[in-house]
Amino acid sequence: MPNDQTSTGFATMARNLVLTAAATTLLTLAASAETYAQSSQVLTEVPRTAEGKPDFTGLWQALGSAHWNIEPSAAKAGPDWKLGAWGAIPATLGVVEGGPLPYTPEGLAKKKANEADWLALDPLVKCYMPGVPRANMLPFPFQIIQGTDNVVMAYEFASAMRIVYMDQPDFDGPVPAWMGHSRGHWEGDTLVIRVTDFMPYTWFDHAGNHHSDQLEVIERYTPAGPNMIMYEAEIRDPETYTRPWKMSFPLYRRMEANAQLLEFKCVEFAEELIYGYLRKDAPADRVPPRGMPFTIQELE
Amino acid sequence: MIMHQKNNPQHRNKLRTLTAAMLSVAIAAVSAQALAQQGSYKVPRTPDGHPDLQGVWANNSSTPLERPEFFGDRAQLTAAEFEELMRQADQIRASGGDALFGDGFLGAVISGEVRSYDPATGNYDAAWMVDRNLENRTSLIVDPPNGRIPPLTEQGQARARERASGRHSPTDTYLGRPLQERCITWGMPYIMAGYNSYYQIVQSRTAVAIIQEMIHDVRVIPLEPKPPLDERIELWHGDARGWWEGDTLVVQSRNFSDKSPFRGAGANRTFTERYTRIADDVLEYEFTVEDPTTWERPWTAVINYTASEDPIFEYACHEGNYALMGILSGARAAERAGLVPDAPIDQE
Repeated sequence: MPNDQTSTGFATMARNLVLTAAATTLLTLAASAETYAQSSQVLTEVPRTAEGKPDFTGLWQALGSAHWNIEPSAAKAGPDWKLGAWGAIPATLGVVEGGPLPYTPEGLAKKKANEADWLALDPLVKCYMPGVPRANMLPFPFQIIQGTDNVVMAYEFASAMRIVYMDQPDFDGPVPAWMGHSRGHWEGDTLVIRVTDFMPYTWFDHAGNHHSDQLEVIERYTPAGPNMIMYEAEIRDPETYTRPWKMSFPLYRRMEANAQLLEFKCVEFAEELIYGYLRKDAPADRVPPRGMPFTIQELE
Repeated sequence: MIMHQKNNPQHRNKLRTLTAAMLSVAIAAVSAQALAQQGSYKVPRTPDGHPDLQGVWANNSSTPLERPEFFGDRAQLTAAEFEELMRQADQIRASGGDALFGDGFLGAVISGEVRSYDPATGNYDAAWMVDRNLENRTSLIVDPPNGRIPPLTEQGQARARERASGRHSPTDTYLGRPLQERCITWGMPYIMAGYNSYYQIVQSRTAVAIIQEMIHDVRVIPLEPKPPLDERIELWHGDARGWWEGDTLVVQSRNFSDKSPFRGAGANRTFTERYTRIADDVLEYEFTVEDPTTWERPWTAVINYTASEDPIFEYACHEGNYALMGILSGARAAERAGLVPDAPIDQE
């Protein structure tokens, strides 16, 4: 934990959330006791592996609107009036610790350009892998499968995934990757993951907060009761920021008796956006996509 | 096929060549040994007491899915035939010609000629190919006894005709390209050998992850009882449920989408897999596919996965898919120039 104030804040928040979760659990239990009895999924203490470590295996999801903007922001209109209230951007308290993000002047200029044109430039809109920590923040669940030597994180969004190599600090990433290269170890009950070898293309949110290929993320997963993880990510990127900074938010266990990872293989939902202009019968409003990680040479 | 920006198998090959070469020499011996030891091999256990299937596994078997009719009901090559296969395989490898994926390998060995699968735009060459595990089997299919996919039912034939007639032209729209080229899925199961055909298994007490390197897909197999998924939710890779039978992990999948065909079967298939570690470096993978609306009877195949010492790479398919853009852009340019594009479409 970064400092005492935050720790206390976390502890209080954790306690409240555990209480709320407990109350919700009881209510749900009463409502569908039969279903729960069948699934025996209600946990009263932190599950542990045979080796005594917290077992994070399960389905997790962040709540809130920080995936729109990791910094505090009031609600605002969406990119298309036709989408009405559904397409508007909700308010968020933000998840960044401390004040405004410590961008370098160039980093800030790029952030502003990204934000002004986010729908065209945000890699998530094209169904590209979200990167870290954005993947943990999306309004989609992700599944952790915790083995001894490796921990797998399988994300519903874009079927993105990560393999966390445990206790192999010297294992360098074989290739730069959209989801980075993750090496983990335990510090007490906290799973600490160092993520490096990133592609420079992913963003942190829809508001255009970004990084370079120098990005290094130090993640900390700490159990706060059986059904919640306090998640913290320290961002180090000297090319984009003048100092390291942190964001933190809780991850909640999906409590539904039938909760499971489904598919959101979104490529098919982004193809018209990316390739629509190349259809033989392309309508006039289909234009070449912008913000692509590669270019092709168009023949005249 | 797509050439990927950052995950070029040539890079991987540099890392894997040595291991693969050693493996391919060793595999015949290993398989035979494994078979002999099947009774005595003691599978390692996870801290939870489950059989430990964890690791990176490669499907680089040279055995074709279906048995060439030439062999009839004979499931194994004779010692002399196997020696001849190894000799010819060396020759094909040494020729440095086209890459052979999937069933192309034994086909080339039997016929003595390499069939180019994409003569229009040119083939991947041998640098793209990992060394293949040569086995003395004549087909991956072990049931029915002729080693071939059973005949289609009338309903199955009608569906195949309907699919063929509803197909888009190959270059009018992205919808005309195969699912692999669109980076949506390489199918479930993905059984083609020799092209990024790597899997990693990670086990917890309550769930197993089966990672498929192709398009970074992870199948999550719950081991605890769960209510069945509502039949209205159809998935590209189906919905899996798993359990242990002795030392074997059994996985059963349903809820497939009709958009996700496998050898002519669609939404009605039940897909049952059995994973058994039969040696430290061999994971026996058996699958049975059952769909009375498609085939006259169920059929079963066995693939011997071999241990790989290299990690799974991130296969950023969609993120680097300039090939799809190039294909469509080329077709539009050809039209503007008054030429009719004539790009062949890859077959499954």
